[in-house]
Amino acid sequence: MIPPLAQSAALVTVRDLRKTFDVSKPWLERVIDRAPKQFLKAVDGISFDIRKGETFALVGESGSGKSTVARMVVGLLPVSGGEVMVDGVSMSEVANSAARELLRRRIQMIFQDPYASLNPRWRVADIIAEPIRAFKLLDTNKDITDRVGELLTLVGLSPLDRVKFPHQFSGGQRQRVAIARALASNAEFIVCDEPTSALDVSVQAQILNLMRDLQDRLGLTYLFISHNLAVVRHMATSIGVMYLGRLVEVAPAAQLFSAPRHPYTRMLLDAVPDLEMSGRARIPVQGEIPSPINPPTGCTFHPRCPLVNERCRAEAPLPINGVACHAVEEGRDGAMELRKRA
Amino acid sequence: MTQPVLSVRNLEVEFVTRRGLLRAIDKVSFDIAPGEVLGVVGESGAGKSLTGTAIIGLIDPPGRIAGGEVWLKGRRIDNLPKEELRKVRGKRIGMIFQDPLTSLNPLFRISEQLIETIRTHSDMNEAQARARAVGLLTEVGIPAPEKRIDSYPHEFSGGMRQRVVIALALAAEPELIIADEPTTALDVSVQAQIITLIKKLCRERGTAVMLVTHDMGVIAETADRVAVMYAGRIVEIGPVRDVVKHAKHPYAKGLMGAIPTLATAETRLLQIPGSMPRLNAIPAGCAFNPRCAEAFERCRTDRPEYIPVENSQVACWLYDKRQTKREVAA
Amino acid sequence: MTMAASDTPRLTLRKRLNDSDLWLSFKASKITVVAAITTVLIVMLALLANVLAPQDAFDPKMLNLMDGFAHPMERGLGSGNLFVLGADAQGRDMLSALLYGTRVSLFVGLSSVILSLSMGVSLGLIAGYVGGRTETIIMRVADVQLSFPAILIALLIFGVARGIIPPNQHESTAVFVIILAIGLSNWAQYARTVRASAMVERNKDYVHAARLIGIKGFAIMARHILPNVTGPVLVIATINLALAVIEEATLSFFGVGLPVTQPSLGTLIRFGQQYLLSGEWWILFFPALTLVILGLAINLLGDWLRDALNPKLR
Repeated sequence: MIPPLAQSAALVTVRDLRKTFDVSKPWLERVIDRAPKQFLKAVDGISFDIRKGETFALVGESGSGKSTVARMVVGLLPVSGGEVMVDGVSMSEVANSAARELLRRRIQMIFQDPYASLNPRWRVADIIAEPIRAFKLLDTNKDITDRVGELLTLVGLSPLDRVKFPHQFSGGQRQRVAIARALASNAEFIVCDEPTSALDVSVQAQILNLMRDLQDRLGLTYLFISHNLAVVRHMATSIGVMYLGRLVEVAPAAQLFSAPRHPYTRMLLDAVPDLEMSGRARIPVQGEIPSPINPPTGCTFHPRCPLVNERCRAEAPLPINGVACHAVEEGRDGAMELRKRA
Repeated sequence: MTQPVLSVRNLEVEFVTRRGLLRAIDKVSFDIAPGEVLGVVGESGAGKSLTGTAIIGLIDPPGRIAGGEVWLKGRRIDNLPKEELRKVRGKRIGMIFQDPLTSLNPLFRISEQLIETIRTHSDMNEAQARARAVGLLTEVGIPAPEKRIDSYPHEFSGGMRQRVVIALALAAEPELIIADEPTTALDVSVQAQIITLIKKLCRERGTAVMLVTHDMGVIAETADRVAVMYAGRIVEIGPVRDVVKHAKHPYAKGLMGAIPTLATAETRLLQIPGSMPRLNAIPAGCAFNPRCAEAFERCRTDRPEYIPVENSQVACWLYDKRQTKREVAA
Repeated sequence: MTMAASDTPRLTLRKRLNDSDLWLSFKASKITVVAAITTVLIVMLALLANVLAPQDAFDPKMLNLMDGFAHPMERGLGSGNLFVLGADAQGRDMLSALLYGTRVSLFVGLSSVILSLSMGVSLGLIAGYVGGRTETIIMRVADVQLSFPAILIALLIFGVARGIIPPNQHESTAVFVIILAIGLSNWAQYARTVRASAMVERNKDYVHAARLIGIKGFAIMARHILPNVTGPVLVIATINLALAVIEEATLSFFGVGLPVTQPSLGTLIRFGQQYLLSGEWWILFFPALTLVILGLAINLLGDWLRDALNPKLR
């Protein structure tokens, strides 16, 4: 067992996480076409820490790999490389399965689709009680029913709702049930995969407020996955920006929004629609996300980057002070400001 | 005062179900001027997509238009026979849907689809139509259009496909474009490009645009005016700046306050209690009254009329100057 | 801030049933109501065979040869009893024979459906959830089976059983052999449907959520996925019931089903077929009519159920 990092009170440590999918054509077709196997590097070396009580957000567009990271952190997807450690216990160590069992109780997940994350044939009471029963946290049925009632009240529903089926609830209410289920095992670390993307704006506000309240009350730690920067602004303490499987920038929230450094981060922030109608100047966004099966060489962002040079095309930048960009390292990123004003 | 391109008056859409009549759109009225972008915004179930579908006459049974009128450049289109309506739909109204994968026929090349549309609504020959198609693709920003025009839809990325859909919608030079969530399925960076494109092209051609979406940010960037829908009715309609920054109707105010922006970090998001009523349980009077913190007696009995407030129209009794202070305070 | 529990009122079971799409669709279709009533009637009559039958048709002591070939609604020359549906060559009351026969046919049909359902659903669940090589094996076996007519497979199994079971036990085990034969010939359709549904469900988030808390595969299949794949199974089972009854009749007709001493609609038809052209039509007619009506009624019910449960047609 690797001893926990001494200096920070990191609850979750992710080091050099990788995931490669085999997307080759079926064997017979490959033999006939004489085609090589094809691999998709969904996640290509991600490292970050999450401190207890914080919300770490992973932001990115489609193909960035953020959902894949979430599933690996939580243990739903086997890891192709690298390591995930929660409170010092490695999630992939087979030997330590007793410790991992204990760990399972403390990690939970909230999913994106409120219509698919609850079993439509189960009553809400059974859905929420499932973790309690699985981990044998309470013995008698009465205790379990009471606890379910407590949890429902905690997320803003009524204990009487426990006899209902999921289809009798709205999307936002279902998400509340999903949160109650996540809390049922007394989890401390919750991975949230786009929890409000499928909800209406006013419902989203309710759920985000609820999640923040619960975090304050129960001292929860969140890994928050989202593509919506405004939502992330609201929830996160630190933010990691992902592009094609790599982390391009990691920074505390306030800093990322006030002084973004990586060109992609800046482009992303500029692309967010301006609800304040401030008429701010924007860099026009170029191009689209390339296919992850055949990513560009060197820095994967180089085809769309206004600051690209030869080194960017050849060499993948390493993260320095949270930013993985040659231009930032070489001090060339001032050029982006000039371009904005032009 | 130029004649509006689209004029909708008291539109009503109903669904006949085993359990009775459901009114999905209840007396909706608005105009769109040439070159103007009207945003129709609302949450799910508000009826915004249905409004667009009703205007082009594509409502399937058990739904049907139960009342009201739709005028396109001075001619009524909601009561046209099917064949006439079909011609109007192709030539004078263009559609942009949410999912570019299903808007384009995967079995045909882009060239075939574009040329077919162009030739149906004009008398160009094959070569002329092709040249025009390439011109359209250039306008929407597809690189190397002479080569890419012969590709199939699946050979394009999501954003590129949506550009092709826009080209297709503009191919017949329509007077009106109805765009239903055109950017929802796209990444944020691509979304910005598509929004800019729609705005630019429509302004150049003087095409009116009805932009239906739940994304307020897109509205703020694209629209000139915006109509906020709730439970099948328009509760507020006005210039986009006014509605977004200084909404009047309590629902619109709540909606704007609930949206997280890059600026608000530490504040709590505004929350509207409850949820939109189902179609079979719309309250009497103002549909929003059970959730409204400022509701009073009249709100529960009388459906609000549109009251002009500054440059907007608001359906809310709070703004009825004839209300005595005593009634409001109750 | 608490959400009101009164958002959706608690509906009583009766109100839920009355209001449900299923009931409304049922009431709307007259044919279905008639089919349902017919089926229920036949089943009730068959179940109460002991009580209703005027004669225990297969007890030789009750028979009077002089009653033989009595016409329907005629009194027997020997015993003087009224034979409502006529009598066969040995003076057996056709009505009684029919009631008992229907009971046996329904029993065989139902049992074989239960057998094929259990087998098919289980294999389908495993194939759909586990995937990989297991799925391939199960599905290829199912494919092969589906390419043969069920009758042939039933005949095969019957033949094998005949070979294994000692001759003196053939009669006593005939019912179980035939249930096994029909049951084993019909499992593949269940497996196919359930596998497809299971494949869809296993990717849903509620399954992920269960895996997250460490629930094992078997529990996930049984408690989470199974309740969500049963819709189409019900439809298949209903239609299968009709087919199983007919299959049993066919096998018995060929002489490889139930023995003559154990009446079923099939044996009765086989029996009566000999007399058709000599004028005693009732010995064949009534069992055949019952078979047709029963098969049709159950089939119509199955049809309605399939349409009623299909969300796309609503």
